[in-house]
Amino acid sequence: MRRSLFGLTENTWLYLLLSLGAILTSLDFLMAFLVAPVVLGGGVGGTAMIGGIAISNQLLFSQKIFFFHVPVAISSFLVFFFTAYYGVRFLMTKDKKYDTRAKIATEVTLVFVILTLITGDLWTRFEWGTWWVWEPRLTTYFIMTLLVIAYFVLRNSIEDEERRATYAAVFGIFAFMDAPISFAITRLVPSSVHPVVLRSGGGLTGTQLAAFLMGMFGMLMIAWVMFRLRLREEFAGEHIEEIKAALEG
Amino acid sequence: MAETPKSRMSSWRQFKAILRKDIVMELRTKEMLTSMGLYALLVLVVYYLALAQVGSKFDVGYIAAGLLWLAIIFTSLLGLNRSLVHEKDQGCLDALLLSPIDRPIIFFGKSVGNLLFLLIVEVIIVPMFYFFFLSGQTLAGPFWMLALVLLVGSIGIAGMGTMLATMSVNTKGKDFILAVMFIPIMFPLLYACVGAATGVVMGDAAFVDGWVQVYWRSLGIAAGYDAIMLLAAFGLYEFIIGA
Amino acid sequence: MTEQTNQEFALEVREVSRTFGARKALDKVDFDLPRGAFLSIFGPNGAGKSTLLKVLSTLTIPSKGKARVMGLDVVEDSVPLREKIGFISHNPLLYPDLSAEENLEFFAELYCLENPKERVRELLVAVELDHRRLDLVRTFSRGMIQRLSIARSLLHEPEVIFLDEPYSGLDPHAMDILDGLIESIRDQHTFVMVSHDLAKGLQLCSHALILSKGKIVLFQDKEFIDEDEFAATYRSTVGLGVS
Repeated sequence: MRRSLFGLTENTWLYLLLSLGAILTSLDFLMAFLVAPVVLGGGVGGTAMIGGIAISNQLLFSQKIFFFHVPVAISSFLVFFFTAYYGVRFLMTKDKKYDTRAKIATEVTLVFVILTLITGDLWTRFEWGTWWVWEPRLTTYFIMTLLVIAYFVLRNSIEDEERRATYAAVFGIFAFMDAPISFAITRLVPSSVHPVVLRSGGGLTGTQLAAFLMGMFGMLMIAWVMFRLRLREEFAGEHIEEIKAALEG
Repeated sequence: MAETPKSRMSSWRQFKAILRKDIVMELRTKEMLTSMGLYALLVLVVYYLALAQVGSKFDVGYIAAGLLWLAIIFTSLLGLNRSLVHEKDQGCLDALLLSPIDRPIIFFGKSVGNLLFLLIVEVIIVPMFYFFFLSGQTLAGPFWMLALVLLVGSIGIAGMGTMLATMSVNTKGKDFILAVMFIPIMFPLLYACVGAATGVVMGDAAFVDGWVQVYWRSLGIAAGYDAIMLLAAFGLYEFIIGA
Repeated sequence: MTEQTNQEFALEVREVSRTFGARKALDKVDFDLPRGAFLSIFGPNGAGKSTLLKVLSTLTIPSKGKARVMGLDVVEDSVPLREKIGFISHNPLLYPDLSAEENLEFFAELYCLENPKERVRELLVAVELDHRRLDLVRTFSRGMIQRLSIARSLLHEPEVIFLDEPYSGLDPHAMDILDGLIESIRDQHTFVMVSHDLAKGLQLCSHALILSKGKIVLFQDKEFIDEDEFAATYRSTVGLGVS
């Protein structure tokens, strides 16, 4: 593990990135409010005049959430990729360190995917007024949450370390393959009861896009920091185990 | 050294041996078939309980396909674990692994066996279901379309189910673990199959854009799911069976 | 690692380790065993005896190091190697719901033998189970099961035979049959046995190996074994009285 990059230790880097990530995410959030104006003093049920068209405040709120929700959603998927990636690496090498990484990547995925689910639900609430709709995105996130939970349930039910790592790797690969397929299916096969709610991205103006991208990078940074911190924690634990084993032998 | 010449290793022969063994054992004990069959009956009774108060305005046809697939899922969950418990019990799996068989052949043999049992159970459930809940109704589409959906879905369930059951049978809490993995992973397949089956049952009443179109699209996706996932399962099976 | 394999040796084990994380099941195990030898492996529980057997019989792969059995690498040539090895375990490795004949015929098919039915009958006679060949294995006594298990492992005429605590739970009659069988094929075969029975192990072996915590404590040709020294080493490692 590299001790220093550009003269800064890993610790410093982690805190730097964490701060940067937090700032970027917050900026993104703030700009969401700045870009689409909210009428001060207006209630949720009220409307605002923007460009001569009356838009309900509800929609405006939901638009704000968009700036947080979509980056989180994409981030969770990106991190999930690493679950599968480290799983593949483990199967190829049988090296425990890949299994550890896969587990941690999945932990980070869990955090992000739950956030995705919550923000997605909030968005639905503001836009449709109901707390849950079985529309493609929400359903897929829900399934993804279940897949990640299943990953941990599987891990916890096996005592043998190597078997646990192998099974988790294989399941992780399937789970990662399953997520986009679920998404595609809920869009392609129309639900006869619930109409497919297609959210048009609409045009994103320059500043909006900037805010969006900032949020993405910020979140990915935070995800990376979480990953590394957790990894260090695991290594410390394993180190202790090694010392214990050596003492006994 | 002994001189008896051996024939070349034939995967087909080994596959047949495994399939034959599973069939003979099942026919002898009838363990899987009876438990799955009875379970299906019980599920139908539960369905009646759920539908008992719906009144005459409710058209069961709308959820019929869903209920049918639900019954198939539950009976599968029950049967899949059993098919692998045999191997684990007497350490037979080790004997299989010690023989010069390619691991994917084991997967192939077991999956096809499970598929056959599942199809047999479906042959019983589908008419029963129709008899209890859809009597007098004509399907919007021809029966062969329904049979095709059942086949494509069952292939996916048997294949991925065997893969997941091979893992779950080695855990504490076998059946629970199987269910926890099975439902999310099979979700896309089941969704597509229910869609296609609903089309066949209800026709344009369910899909205003033309149910035939929806049917073929859903079936295509289901078949695609089967192809992708089973290919992956084929490749990954040797990792889990040796673990 | 010399790529050239020595035709003299049945086993060539080069610094085989099996670790996962911090846990070491085998630690740089290194030895050679000439063909036609009988190796008895002793050691306390958890010493890695079963793991070593598993690596040599291709059930698991080493994390480090290489091993060759009859000149074939246990990892790269595992499939052809499996045709040459037999395994007798304390687990029956038989299907209770199949008959003796069906069990053997199944395994004969897995090994793709040329004249399966005749070979099966031949072995059933050799283990004195021909009269019960149509009976289900679940009706057999422990001794009969072990005899059938021996028959199963010899179907394909292996050159190396692994034995994992084969005598445990056997009645004297079954023990005699096992002894007799080993004697009859002693000449052309190599044996590797894990046993807790020190007397039996020493009596049968030509080479002895003591493992402790994954490491070799002692590996000797029986000719050079000093009885007392061996007993002392054994006692101190295994912690049992010499029977």
